[in-house]
Amino acid sequence: MTHTDLDAIQRIALPVLILLPIAASVVVGLLIMASSRYPSERTATRILEIALTISLVLSALVAIGATGVFGTAPSALVDYGALLEIGTYRIPAVLLADSKGIVFSLLCAFLTLLVARFSRTYMHREAGYFRFFIVLGGFATGAQLVALAGALDIFFAGWELIGIGSALFIGFFHERAEPVRSSLRAFATYRLCDAGFLMAMVCVHEVLGSTTINALDGSIDLPLWESTTIGLLFLLSVMGKSAQLPFSGWLPRAMEGPTPTSALFYGGISLHAGLFLMLRISPIISASPVVQVVGAVVGISTAIYAAAVARTDPDAKGALAHATLCQVGLILAEISLGFTTLALVHISGHALLRVWQYLRAPNAIHDAHRIGVHAVPVEDAQPQSVLERRVYAAALHRLRLDDRIDSILDPFMVLARALDRFDQRMRTLFGGGKDVDS
Amino acid sequence: MHNSNSIDEDAIDAAITRAYGILPDQGPIGVFIHHNTLHSYQHLPFHRAIQEGAARLGAHAYMALERFHAAWKSGRIEEIDLDEALDDLPSADETLQLPLGLSRRQLRRALLVEHIDDQDAAGLLWRIRNGPSPVAADMPLWEAALERVTRGPLPTTKIASPPLRHRDALIACGARDPDIAVTHELTSLCSSFLDQGQAGIALPNRSEGFLMAVSLLFASGASVPRLCRGAEDDFRRIAIERTPAKIVIAAALDALGVPEDERKEYVIATALALPGWAGMFSRLERNPAENRAHCPISLAEFIAVRMVFDRHAAERSACEALLPTSWKLLPKQIPLPEPIATASSAFLLWNLARVAGAKPEQVREMNDESLATLWHETSIFHHGARGQVWLEAYESRYRRAILGAVANRRRMELPTHAQRARAQFIFCIDEREESIRRALEEQDSAFVTFGAAGFFGMAIDYVGLYDHEPAAHCPVVVVPAHEVHEQPVLTQLSWHARRAVLRDQWHGIERAAASWSRTLTGGAGLSLLLGPIAGIAAVLRVLAPRTSLDIRDRIETRLAPRPDTRLGGIRQEPSAPLSRAGKPMGFSLQEATDRVAGMLRSIGIVGNFSKIILVLGHGSTSLNNPHESAHDCGACGGRRGGANARLFADLANRNDVRESLRAIGIDIPSDTWFVGALHDTANDAVQCFDLEELPSASAAPFADAWRALEIARRHSALERVRRFESAPLGLSPDDALRHVEERAAHLAQPRPEYGHCTNACAFVGRRSITRGLHLDRRAFLVSYDPTTDPTNTILERILAAVGPVGAGISLEYYFSSVDLDRFGCGTKLPHNVTGLLGVSNGHRGDLRTGLPLQMVEIHEPMRLLLVVEATPAALLEIAGRQAEVRELVVNEWVQLVSLDPTTGHMQRFHNGAFHDCRIDNTPLQSVNRSVEWHGSSREYVSPALVLDGLDLRPLAKATA
Repeated sequence: MTHTDLDAIQRIALPVLILLPIAASVVVGLLIMASSRYPSERTATRILEIALTISLVLSALVAIGATGVFGTAPSALVDYGALLEIGTYRIPAVLLADSKGIVFSLLCAFLTLLVARFSRTYMHREAGYFRFFIVLGGFATGAQLVALAGALDIFFAGWELIGIGSALFIGFFHERAEPVRSSLRAFATYRLCDAGFLMAMVCVHEVLGSTTINALDGSIDLPLWESTTIGLLFLLSVMGKSAQLPFSGWLPRAMEGPTPTSALFYGGISLHAGLFLMLRISPIISASPVVQVVGAVVGISTAIYAAAVARTDPDAKGALAHATLCQVGLILAEISLGFTTLALVHISGHALLRVWQYLRAPNAIHDAHRIGVHAVPVEDAQPQSVLERRVYAAALHRLRLDDRIDSILDPFMVLARALDRFDQRMRTLFGGGKDVDS
Repeated sequence: MHNSNSIDEDAIDAAITRAYGILPDQGPIGVFIHHNTLHSYQHLPFHRAIQEGAARLGAHAYMALERFHAAWKSGRIEEIDLDEALDDLPSADETLQLPLGLSRRQLRRALLVEHIDDQDAAGLLWRIRNGPSPVAADMPLWEAALERVTRGPLPTTKIASPPLRHRDALIACGARDPDIAVTHELTSLCSSFLDQGQAGIALPNRSEGFLMAVSLLFASGASVPRLCRGAEDDFRRIAIERTPAKIVIAAALDALGVPEDERKEYVIATALALPGWAGMFSRLERNPAENRAHCPISLAEFIAVRMVFDRHAAERSACEALLPTSWKLLPKQIPLPEPIATASSAFLLWNLARVAGAKPEQVREMNDESLATLWHETSIFHHGARGQVWLEAYESRYRRAILGAVANRRRMELPTHAQRARAQFIFCIDEREESIRRALEEQDSAFVTFGAAGFFGMAIDYVGLYDHEPAAHCPVVVVPAHEVHEQPVLTQLSWHARRAVLRDQWHGIERAAASWSRTLTGGAGLSLLLGPIAGIAAVLRVLAPRTSLDIRDRIETRLAPRPDTRLGGIRQEPSAPLSRAGKPMGFSLQEATDRVAGMLRSIGIVGNFSKIILVLGHGSTSLNNPHESAHDCGACGGRRGGANARLFADLANRNDVRESLRAIGIDIPSDTWFVGALHDTANDAVQCFDLEELPSASAAPFADAWRALEIARRHSALERVRRFESAPLGLSPDDALRHVEERAAHLAQPRPEYGHCTNACAFVGRRSITRGLHLDRRAFLVSYDPTTDPTNTILERILAAVGPVGAGISLEYYFSSVDLDRFGCGTKLPHNVTGLLGVSNGHRGDLRTGLPLQMVEIHEPMRLLLVVEATPAALLEIAGRQAEVRELVVNEWVQLVSLDPTTGHMQRFHNGAFHDCRIDNTPLQSVNRSVEWHGSSREYVSPALVLDGLDLRPLAKATA
């Protein structure tokens, strides 16, 4: 095939593989709205699975094409013009299927399909069955957007889809209060940190004139304070998405969702998406030693913190979440210090390992019967000194991160509750004994 | 501060004693034993007990009224059932006349069937205005009712449950919920303290008990949650003064201003605020053997720690909302509940007037007193009473049908078989074995099956080849006196030794990999090393669960086959060394003979032994299922019954045992051979033991029986899969078997099997009276021959074991399905294994006890219908001697029916005596094979006659 043919195919394949999953979600949604009855579980899953399978196949084809076996490799950058143009501001519609993007795209497509297959059986007969798969489709598109975006604006759209999916799955069992609280916490953390992304994006547009990923290469020429500011703003966003200190509190609480989503989001893609952003903005990072140092410090301290928590956590998913966080911290440090290729390999291997461990997490009792428990800790081997007790407590209490954040919000909450009580009292005073509607 | 006196210590003691009874009594989930969830209420009559118990736990005692109502609409409950249940109410005063010419009976029936008094006013008015109007049938009457109700008196408002703890009052006042912070803190402390080996490090100093360990932790400077600030000072003081738990509790109660006379209830409510963890403390305190962590455990210390946190959290929450902290003042601040809206009351009145056939004028002219009487009558027929009537009716319908089927079946004249059975199969009494037994019997009327409690009389501590410690394989009420070990055969001793080392090494690697992967460097190394392998493994295990597991097993068998083994069932010398636990290893000849004889007599095979007798214990294998053990054999204490079956067969085959048996009148022919086996109820596999020992003369009869079993397990699988929505109806038996095999091997399968979900009744009697009945896997079948038991001693033994085990299973399923959130553990999907003790929801939640949605979703919650082939007199006599049976029967936690062995007359024990009971006399429908009856349905099917199971097809056809 000629170069132009391949280019043309790539031009079609990329948007299809990105958009097909969410299109499948929309179709399932329409099917539900169109008829008075729910479609069969089989129909809904089949639509989703076909979309996800095509997405995976296309992703694989793009990967094969990029190796050059069909002749020359098609160009990685595919430009579709502009999504929006207002004055000088322009949202470019650019996709970037370079090696990083392709690896991450393959990883996302593979894991999403795997989890969808798993969930077909796992979620069977659950009240939120359709909701589950619809959100999953949205998430898959988000992940592919992140992987293949050629401009920060598009990247951000995918980034947000992943965030919304994460929050919706944490609050999946919304008839109980705890999942809803946890979901809100994750969502609020994302919102806060994503402000960094937005501001960084505006800054990039201002100083570099374009928000395409390739334009970031120009950041090497920026004055230090500019690249530092932009880098730190991006880093803030990464710290939220990847649950780095001090935003780690939402992660264990995210285990309220169904097990396969814990696997997909917090073992697989969502936590690593932050790292992928780091890979994408690596020119900025390398332009600013400050960002490198801050990133490395945040990453390493999170890794140490999470390793300690993972050792003290007596529940299967909590321990796994922190084990994952530990590696994510480590990879953040790797990227900050410039080891981007190592980081990409680390991300891929790590995501596969954790997804598998998460999917088998409920097997802990069975495994304990089969392979035995590592010896129940003997008293002598336990931390006994005051210092050791403090370290243990700090890990057990997770540095009381949530508590510290909540204390900032306390005055507002107290005021809100006082208003609520006042409202209630007024209602009883004036409305008591009357019909609700008469 | 610690100026407590003896009075409040008494109150605290009393509270803790009571809490032991009320808290969930479920041990670590690795060994799941079904029990009556409200065991501590068993001394009370059933309805009273469950209403009180449920109220105490804030749970529902009965299915939701909507579910009963749906059952009524669908015909599951019929008119006569409801009538009978209404008559049965102690206060069903027929003569009492109520206003509008209503009878109490009419009023109650209307409340049940029309479901008229929990309408929400806003919705009601909206529907009246926008249609379809619920009162369109008689608008003038509606206006009259509305007008009359507006003039009052209104029904008294439901009193919201009074606050039991500060938290309840604070929430009612709109203050911050103090429990959120306390629960988070407590769950992490509890799970770290009780951890059975899941975390790398457990709570420091846990050998000093919970209170001291927690106090030392905070005394060394750890921070308490922000909302419990102040607690660290208390803990520091406790750590220095080593204050005992009760004094800590008393001090906290003082600080919260709880008066003396309310302390008991307050402390109980505190214990119940986190029932899962408190229950685990209570359970492990009283059963220290179940605690592998060997730390001292005390419920009082749990409550003490909780009270310290509670106190500060409550003070803070009250302070923020400008409320008083003292328990004497706080509850008075709760705003009054809003009254019931007039529209709802008018709707109730409208409905009652319709039932009474009253005119609008009559309604308008009602005086205040009559109206108040109506409101009163409605309120005394409360939620509990309605549930009671519905449940009685619900049970009555099933009872009628099943007893009718038995009566019908018993009336049939059966030719007696003199010839020798082709093969005999002894199964566990478990209702899940009913289908495979029927499938065997359908193949040939000369196949005979028996049911015996699945430990087959072998109460042992069993140590399998690779077990590290003995496990009790017998009903929980029995403490085994003997230990039995599985040993490799002598020719394979060296291979066994090598394999054991390899196995330990491999498991060591697996364990190490799991914990390395959580560390900083180990995680990095393993990600790169194992990541791709994990990816491949995940794909294989998710896409081809059955095949991939099969391949793995085959590789394992090829590389390191399990050595052949034998059980050391007999102790040759009385002076043989005892086991490490100080128990004799194996039975003496006399003990073995007694046990085999007892078992054979109990099921009634004392002659007519066939050439081959299969003894099948059962267990269940599934993956990713923390509740796996709940599917194992209840009679083996939540373990697999294979070892017991194997031991029984082994002993019964021994020449010395047979000789001693002959001496006491049980003559097992020399050509008879017993084979022990294990039936896996999840994938319907059957594994036979010790076939190497099979004499050549028994090979042909065994092969014959095995062929039948191969067919039967396929048909049984087919009968099971019809209940699984994900299996298409009309599968072939082979496909059905494949389906259940895949289920058991699937990591994503939350329903590997439905377990005891279908349990409903139990028959104790000769199989010949139930043989040929399609009982839909709902009946425990206990073989017992009344003709060989004139003194009822066998029956007494059976009932003493089967009564509590059966009731335990039935009641656990009952409670978990009537209130999945309080008695059960909700849906499995967010479950998180915690401390190897149990599951919690997601992160840092309470431990969830009981059964999950996926185990009870098709259950019909009813009390076990226990039909015994014995006279009422015999049953009463046994109940008089066996306290636990008496409690269950007299208080009607089971429905006991006596089936007279000679006349077939059936009487049910109810309200303190045996009475004749209503049965369906319509002739049974008959089919040739079971599959014709259930093949096209996913629902429960009513009993039918399966002619192939009987040897009277010409006879039946003539009568039909």
